[in-house]
Amino acid sequence: MDKMRIVLTVNGQDHELLAAPNRTLAQTLREDLELTGTKQGCEVGDCGSCTVLMDGEPVNSCLVLAVQASGKAITTIEGVAEGNQLHPVQDAMVEHGAVQCGFCTPGMVLSAVSLLDKVPDPGDGEIRQALSGNLCRCTGYQKIVEAVQDAASKMERS
Amino acid sequence: MLLPRFSYHQPASVAEALEVLGQHGDQAAIIAGGTDLLVNMKHGKLAPRHLVGLEGIDGLEEIGADNGSLVVGPRLTASALAASGELSGAAQALALGAASLGSPQVRNRATVGGNVCTARPAADMCVPLLVLGAKALLAGPDGPRELPLDEFFLGPGQTAKKPGELLTGLSLPRPAEGSGAGYEKLGLRKALEIALVNVAAAIWLEPDGKTIKQAKVALGAVAPVPMLSPGAEAALTGQTAGEEAFAQAAEAAATDAKPISDHRGSAQYRREVVQVLTRRALGQAWQAALGQ
Repeated sequence: MDKMRIVLTVNGQDHELLAAPNRTLAQTLREDLELTGTKQGCEVGDCGSCTVLMDGEPVNSCLVLAVQASGKAITTIEGVAEGNQLHPVQDAMVEHGAVQCGFCTPGMVLSAVSLLDKVPDPGDGEIRQALSGNLCRCTGYQKIVEAVQDAASKMERS
Repeated sequence: MLLPRFSYHQPASVAEALEVLGQHGDQAAIIAGGTDLLVNMKHGKLAPRHLVGLEGIDGLEEIGADNGSLVVGPRLTASALAASGELSGAAQALALGAASLGSPQVRNRATVGGNVCTARPAADMCVPLLVLGAKALLAGPDGPRELPLDEFFLGPGQTAKKPGELLTGLSLPRPAEGSGAGYEKLGLRKALEIALVNVAAAIWLEPDGKTIKQAKVALGAVAPVPMLSPGAEAALTGQTAGEEAFAQAAEAAATDAKPISDHRGSAQYRREVVQVLTRRALGQAWQAALGQ
């Protein structure tokens, strides 16, 4: 099981790493790059807490091998804000009380950011569909959906 | 949850992939999106010593045309197929099935080739592929061969693909005018769900826009493999499209189904659901064939 040389572009920065083939992208991000904003929940692709964007599309990083992610552009929750300026989705989630325990929040934010990149003015159904791979056991989703709607309208106006 | 140890191979061509598969026999597994394989490996159900990644092989990620057929690349993701403009008419069945698989994150990784080779009885892309008369295109040490999909599925998780063979494409007839598709899935929730019953339907209309030239209905989660309903096809061919014909076909589909009772639902309930979903899927296919 030889380690393989990979290059991950994470939040715009290139990292050259040696990865064992059985390392997942989630493990590599958390343990090798110390980007612990990406959470690991179920680890089998059901809960969405490990969601990151790979070339702009949400994926479960627990089910992507690090070697499969080589050469791809990865966005983690650490790359969503600009300095101290939160992304409008993050702002809206704080404002709407859409964060309770917070474990699902990084994945939820990335799914929402990816949706708003493609659909600037999504309807309720589109938001729920886009977040359907992110499970939240605290909020009941309503406040999260409202936060994404609010973020969408604020981003449209700016 | 840790993955067992394995070596990772990235062949640059189908020939190279076949060579690696030949070298390692049943110690090797092919990986595309990994949404199924890696889960099974984490759960300790599978422990291949060698994984063969297909990402280095060109040409497996597109929809190509070959004479009268469309060849769907096995590495196309469910997301790509759900959004594909090339799957019109009856071929839309595949896009509809792809759109209802898993979650957005899973659809962005899960591939049609993986869905076919994993061969689950409720597979969201396999049931639609059956109504399209899809053929599996296989490459192997003894050269390429083609196999109709209804002969490809042998049992839950079992296919006619030999170790050492690679699925290189799925061939479908090119979409015809006056054809349409429907897909219906019942689960306990809308996302991240394995169907209790899923039904795909395709209708090809005569130029009069009323008579059914051909129709096919496929059923999921009611047999050890995704299955076609010959009864439904016979009940529809040559009939006038409409509620009456669809109700008869639905009854025939429920007769053809061979459901079992399990934690998702009883056999009796599944049979009832087959009828309802077949009627709805045919209605949807008819509207689509009429261009509505």
